[in-house]
Amino acid sequence: MSALVSDVGTRTAVAAANLVKVYGKGDTAVRALDGVSVAFTAGRFTAIMGPSGSGKSTLMHCLAGLDNVDGGNVHVGGTEITSLADKELTKLRRDRVGFVFQAFNLLPTLTAEANILLGLELAGRKPDREWFDTIVDVLGLRDRLKHKPTELSGGQQQRVACARALVARPDVVFADEPTGNLDSRSGAEVLDFLRMSVRKLGQTVIMVTHDPVAASYADRVVLLADGHLAGEIDNPTADSVLSALKHLGA
Amino acid sequence: MLRTIIAGLKARTARLVLSSVAIALGVAFVTGTLVLGDGMSESLRDEFAKGARNVDASVTLDRSSSSSSSDSSDGPTGISPEMLAKIRQTPGVAGADPRDFQQVPLLASNGKAKPAMAVPLASNEKLREFDVVDGRYPTAADEIAVDKRTATTAKLTIGQPVVLLGKDDKRLTFTLVGTYQQGTNSVSLSGGDHIGLTPEAFQALQPDQLPYEVVATAAPGVTQQQLVDNIRNAVGAGFQVQTGEEVTRQTMAQVSSQAGEFTTVLLAFALIALVVAAMVIYNTFTILVAQRTRELALMRCVGASRGQVFRGVLAEALVMGLTASVIGLFGGIGVSALLQRVIFSFDGGEGVVRLPVSGTTVLAAFAVGTLVTVLAAVLPARKATRVAPVAALRSQPDSGEEVARTGVLRVLTAVLFGVIGVGAIVFGMGIDDEETAMVVSGAGTMALLAMVLVLGPLLVGPVNRVLGALPRALFGVPAKLASANAGRNPKRTAATTAALMIGVTIVALVTVVANSAKETANAEIDQRMPADYTVSSVVYDRPLPKELAAQLAAVPEVAKVAPTTVVYGERAYFTGIPRDAIGDLFRPTVTSGSLADLGDGTVAVNAEYAKRQNVSVGSTVEVAPQEGTPQRLKVVAVVEGQRLSDGIMTLETSLRFPQAVEGYDSILVKLKDGVANGRAAVEKVTDPSPLAVLDSAAETKEQLNQQLNQVLAFIWALIGLAVVIALFGIANTLTLSVLERTRESALLRALGLTRGQLRLMLVVESVLMAMMGAALGLLLGVGFGWVITQALSTDTMAVDLVVPFGQIGVMLAGAVAAAVLAAALPARRAARTSVVAGMAEA
Ligand SMILES: Nc1ncnc2c1ncn2[C@@H]1O[C@H](COP(=O)(O)OP(=O)(O)O)[C@@H](O)[C@H]1O
Ligand SMILES: [Mg+2]
Repeated sequence: MSALVSDVGTRTAVAAANLVKVYGKGDTAVRALDGVSVAFTAGRFTAIMGPSGSGKSTLMHCLAGLDNVDGGNVHVGGTEITSLADKELTKLRRDRVGFVFQAFNLLPTLTAEANILLGLELAGRKPDREWFDTIVDVLGLRDRLKHKPTELSGGQQQRVACARALVARPDVVFADEPTGNLDSRSGAEVLDFLRMSVRKLGQTVIMVTHDPVAASYADRVVLLADGHLAGEIDNPTADSVLSALKHLGA
Repeated sequence: MLRTIIAGLKARTARLVLSSVAIALGVAFVTGTLVLGDGMSESLRDEFAKGARNVDASVTLDRSSSSSSSDSSDGPTGISPEMLAKIRQTPGVAGADPRDFQQVPLLASNGKAKPAMAVPLASNEKLREFDVVDGRYPTAADEIAVDKRTATTAKLTIGQPVVLLGKDDKRLTFTLVGTYQQGTNSVSLSGGDHIGLTPEAFQALQPDQLPYEVVATAAPGVTQQQLVDNIRNAVGAGFQVQTGEEVTRQTMAQVSSQAGEFTTVLLAFALIALVVAAMVIYNTFTILVAQRTRELALMRCVGASRGQVFRGVLAEALVMGLTASVIGLFGGIGVSALLQRVIFSFDGGEGVVRLPVSGTTVLAAFAVGTLVTVLAAVLPARKATRVAPVAALRSQPDSGEEVARTGVLRVLTAVLFGVIGVGAIVFGMGIDDEETAMVVSGAGTMALLAMVLVLGPLLVGPVNRVLGALPRALFGVPAKLASANAGRNPKRTAATTAALMIGVTIVALVTVVANSAKETANAEIDQRMPADYTVSSVVYDRPLPKELAAQLAAVPEVAKVAPTTVVYGERAYFTGIPRDAIGDLFRPTVTSGSLADLGDGTVAVNAEYAKRQNVSVGSTVEVAPQEGTPQRLKVVAVVEGQRLSDGIMTLETSLRFPQAVEGYDSILVKLKDGVANGRAAVEKVTDPSPLAVLDSAAETKEQLNQQLNQVLAFIWALIGLAVVIALFGIANTLTLSVLERTRESALLRALGLTRGQLRLMLVVESVLMAMMGAALGLLLGVGFGWVITQALSTDTMAVDLVVPFGQIGVMLAGAVAAAVLAAALPARRAARTSVVAGMAEA
């Protein structure tokens, strides 16, 4: 394992500089991101936190190349992505980024296994069977592989989404409120897995959440308020996050 | 509630517009048909009104009394000139003129004759049926007037000579003095030429043909009844004298039933279009309601009653149906105007486009458009009332609920239809009469179609797996996803594809039957015309001069000629052919007896005739010609496979009948082996003869095929509308599905599906749906075509099944192209939506 985590704290997986994102025009324009500069180190689990409407999801979308920006730039694994065309962005997402969304993560027409392998198939890559088995076993999905999403519980669905995000060994996994729709026990399972994937498998995970307990699973918390960076907490606990949020006035 | 409905309509404008198009097309077709039918009968009526104007009395032979007392050969065949004179002198008669018609060869500028319909033009101005366009009516026996279109096509100008071929092909020259407008009637629609002469000149063409009717106009102050009474007294027994009003009434009834038949045919196609449109509408509403589960549930949560939800959905359908009906009504009137223009352009001349919009038409438009839409919405609306209020609280709109619960009822219904269908087909095939057999078996095939429709949702899965294999292999992941999407909601897919399936089934059925008939006819022509060329007369009833056969035989390139004659008996006609040509230039299949015995006073009868008349080898048949004495002929053989006539006899035997003496019906020509330019050599002989035309088997086939192709094209065009509506249905379903799957599309894009791949996915899904409909439709259509050809086959004539792979290929290619087109808009929309916006969609 030591080889996998050797570059912790040395390599930057994702970085944003002076990021600006404006919704709407004129009087109704909203500066959802107003000059955000932040870097995410490879092999670490970072949580983006802030009150509702502070720009967390917007930041994540911009970092992942899902949305275009109005200013600044973003690097993913050394590639500047704000100038890329749609085709190249798509390829980037295929090969180097994994996603876990709050809901609707899975295609209802495909089995759990097909959903997990969908990204690889789109990229035309052969799945690494050993790696696939490892992930499936860790997530306890072995006996659910042939099931359709409607036959799975919410927690199981999110674990399938996690498996899909990790099976392609992306440079970075983005998760937007991955536990938002789950009860606390299922939520804890998913968060445990995300932390484990970072600690033991060397994955880089960036997670958006408004839940201090969820944030406490991370190595580091980045605080956002009104589209600005509002502080950081290393090795957070639920309490330290909660008090930091109170400090922001949320 | 009203405000919610209006808001709902506004929010779903795009989807509703799409569905409205399907309804409007259906309505347009129905109204177009009705308006066209009304227009045609109106113009026929006007035409008749011209013929009936100023007619106060009509005199015809009284068939009922004359035929019973005497044989047809010695009774009067028309109204004699003496009788006409008598009528003219009857008190109260201001004028009287004969009505008649006959075919006369008109010599065109190239020296070849073509058949024209000649009529006597009334000498009394008031009794004239046609309006003069240019010049005047003929007054002298050597003057002629022609229909305006005839003048154009035959390139005749006023003052020029016009040559007709009289008896014994004598050239009769007339001076053209005027043109007249005939208007729309059966003669003008058939496209034949039309000429008018003075009654005297007309009579001189065929002195022994007497006019079938004399019409009279009354002097001032004389009523129609008085006139009729006077004439009745003057002409005596044996004539039917009717008032003008009576005749008008009778003819009107005939006219409307004629126009009615045409309308019925069109309405049958309109019905198909309508069924298809209804299915599309039903499907649309089902999807709309399914997608609005949450919204409707929310309304229930905030206190809307079931009735309110039900009425809300119905009200939406009503608004949509009304709008589409109005659009469709006007569209239909446009369609009718267009169709009339097309008919006129075939016709060559210009006609008046008539667009009578009757109350029935308007009623039909709204009944079809509004009623069908509302009815199609009832089931989905009922479903809407069953939405539980808690559904609003579920996070994912769950239209998966409508996924097939393929109940026992469905299977039982399908089995019932299947049993009825197979029963009717088997029963129909056993019926001797071709027409009844076709109708019964045809009904059976429609029951089978209903069975497949009922089974639809069960078939989607397997058919999708089979059809999806190729695109999956070709396009990989996007096609795999498309195939999964096409199969995810079997009921919806089945309902969407069913509309197309119906259209394609019928097109394929008609195409297969038409092609089978064509091949059968072609094979028959090959068998019937072993000669290289057949020389025949362009004008029916005008035989070829006998010298022509000898002249042809003298041509060095010609190996053999065989003249044929024709003998008409009562409800039968026979061919006379030289003894030495039988089995050589003329070779029917013998089923019993022997053609070697065919000598003087004998006949070989067609198997069909033998069956009809219950005769066999050894019996005697009596052939009673219209003129001359009846002849008793001994049957020496029964033949089949040639439907040239009811039987054949030697040329010598046929000469016992006066008609056959006049000239030859046709002359078969066989060339010497390996001669080049045989046709030119034969034409050198036939060209100077105005009546003779040269046919080869190939040309006859070509002509026949052309006619069949025209009919087929007409039917393709009519069913085409149903297919267009069905494709709108696919576009509709796809658009709605794409909206429903916005989040899914966004997820796929986030995971790395490119825009192009997303578009490809939707195109493949559309093509898969179209193919399901088209493939099943083709399968059914070809199968049903086989059933119909079997039903049409009789003991004596087998109709072979011919599957036109070329045309089927065209249909499939068309379906694929249309499906790609149908997917264009939804695919564009899906691909344009940004990932983030898509994810945000509820
Ligand atoms: N598509 C959009 N159009 C307009 N405004 C938006 C859009 N998406 C987000 N916003 C606005 O941008 C701000 C940040 O939104 P978001 O990033 O979703 O916040 P968070 O995820 O932290 O709750 C909010 O004020 C929100 O109203
Ligand atoms: Mg958010």
